[in-house]
Amino acid sequence: MKRPAYQTVLLNIALIAVMLFFIGPIVWFVELSLRSPTSAFASPPQLLFKPTLDAFRYTFVKPGTNAPQLVSSLVVAIGATLLNLPFSMTAAYALSRFRMRAKAGLMMWYISLLMAPAVVYLIPYFILMSRLRLRGTYMSMILISMTITIPFSIWLLKSFFDDVPVDIEEAAQVDGASFLQAMMKITLPLSLPGVIVTSMFAFVFTWNNALFPLVLSNQRTATLPIGTLNYFATTGVTWNYIAATAVVTMLPPMIIFLVLGRHIVRGLTFGAVKG
Amino acid sequence: MTGSSKARPFLWVLPSILILFGLIVYPLFFSLTNSFRLWNLQTSPIPLGFVGIGNYRQVFQTTPFSPALINTLILAFGGVFIEFWFGMGVALLLNSRIRGTGISRALLIMPTTIAPIVVGFLFRYMYYERGGLITWLLRTVGFPVPIQGMLGSSSTALAAVALADIWQWTPFFAIVLYAGLLSIPEDVIEAGIVDGASGIRMFLWITLPSISRTAIIVIMIRFMQLFNMIDLVLVLTHGGPGTASRTLSFNLYQVGLVDYNIGVAAAMTWLMVIIVTLLINGYARVAFRNWEW
Repeated sequence: MKRPAYQTVLLNIALIAVMLFFIGPIVWFVELSLRSPTSAFASPPQLLFKPTLDAFRYTFVKPGTNAPQLVSSLVVAIGATLLNLPFSMTAAYALSRFRMRAKAGLMMWYISLLMAPAVVYLIPYFILMSRLRLRGTYMSMILISMTITIPFSIWLLKSFFDDVPVDIEEAAQVDGASFLQAMMKITLPLSLPGVIVTSMFAFVFTWNNALFPLVLSNQRTATLPIGTLNYFATTGVTWNYIAATAVVTMLPPMIIFLVLGRHIVRGLTFGAVKG
Repeated sequence: MTGSSKARPFLWVLPSILILFGLIVYPLFFSLTNSFRLWNLQTSPIPLGFVGIGNYRQVFQTTPFSPALINTLILAFGGVFIEFWFGMGVALLLNSRIRGTGISRALLIMPTTIAPIVVGFLFRYMYYERGGLITWLLRTVGFPVPIQGMLGSSSTALAAVALADIWQWTPFFAIVLYAGLLSIPEDVIEAGIVDGASGIRMFLWITLPSISRTAIIVIMIRFMQLFNMIDLVLVLTHGGPGTASRTLSFNLYQVGLVDYNIGVAAAMTWLMVIIVTLLINGYARVAFRNWEW
């Protein structure tokens, strides 16, 4: 279809406005992390200024108040990503390959847990962890993250396993491979990209979660967003430290999503929409 | 499949069921007993006596449960409505195949990747009443920003929280709906054109029905996420001023984890479990009707 020139111009203006609305604030925040404290709230807002890395230096190098929190964030997110796999891979594989009477019901059970408000089970979990003297440990945070990563990963992984034709597996079994060999040698390698994609999402979800560490961490195990939150409690909010730590929290998910590319739609819809 | 493997499927799903049971279902039933007990962690490390349905009455009498429920419903319905149609507009824009849509699509998802709590930090900065970017822009175009700022006034706080969510999640709708638009077969569109459909009619009768399945699923996911909202509220308004932006999740967090009133929090938990179960089941039944498992 050919469209009149004025329409093309209007569409272009609309696209620029949309991008400005959605990307502008991110740029504005990154700028804040590079400002000297005095220009944070200049009026009218200053677009151009002499950038400085002082805020990053203070928060992550010297004295590096937030550096241990960066480590905590990594420990929890990587721990959760790894612990998640044995649970979700076995379940997703079975749900994709076996005929099961309870399949639809189980899938619905997983997704309803995924969509339940986390505070609801977080409070009793918090009390139980206190009793077991596990409050404040990385383990308490990694474990509770399973309530999100496992149901999510089962849904997404199942959609990837479903993409590998059963015929190939059956052919291998006819050729004498055992059921387990067929799974390990054929289905798993073919769906390895799916396992990696799923793990990337699991990492991002745990990394971005602030509620669990807010309730369960202590000073030693606090994650990065909790560190940022602490800057609001001090007298005279230090906006450029907030921005510096927030930008560091923002970066890994952004990079991961750039790598994920065409898998984003499938991941964000738990495999229900294949983009 | 070989005979022996047929007997095993349940063993394969069992680990996931057990761990989720331990992490969610068991704590919830622990909560159920607590909901009938007098128990405040600030006064006693162990539960005191049973109080019948006293805690449930307290939920309505001593916590702003009803205002929180109303705010939550406004957020969930309003947020989904705006994000869906705004996202649909952006998806159609991306689908118009003008120059720059490729790179735009890749960048557009960025707000969605950010941790909700960080979006809270960002918007608190932009809402700052003296010199924040949004405050400055609104005042420049003549919008009467309250002296306490957008977050500090009970007439604007909830809308201000919603705007931050709309900013973060509209791209999600846009990207998913755009994927839906791309998957409409060429011949379906051509058939529409041959039949003389154009513009609005084309959209209503061809485009919308073709992506309805995708739309229903993203609306369900987003509705529940909005219904559970807590991170943004925690950073931006703390539910205030008064109860102007208090959500159900924040209310529960406040009672259970700040005031440590475990008994009342447990009662509230179960009220929420009932509401959420009804919502999810009702919706999932529609969304996954005729689904191939």
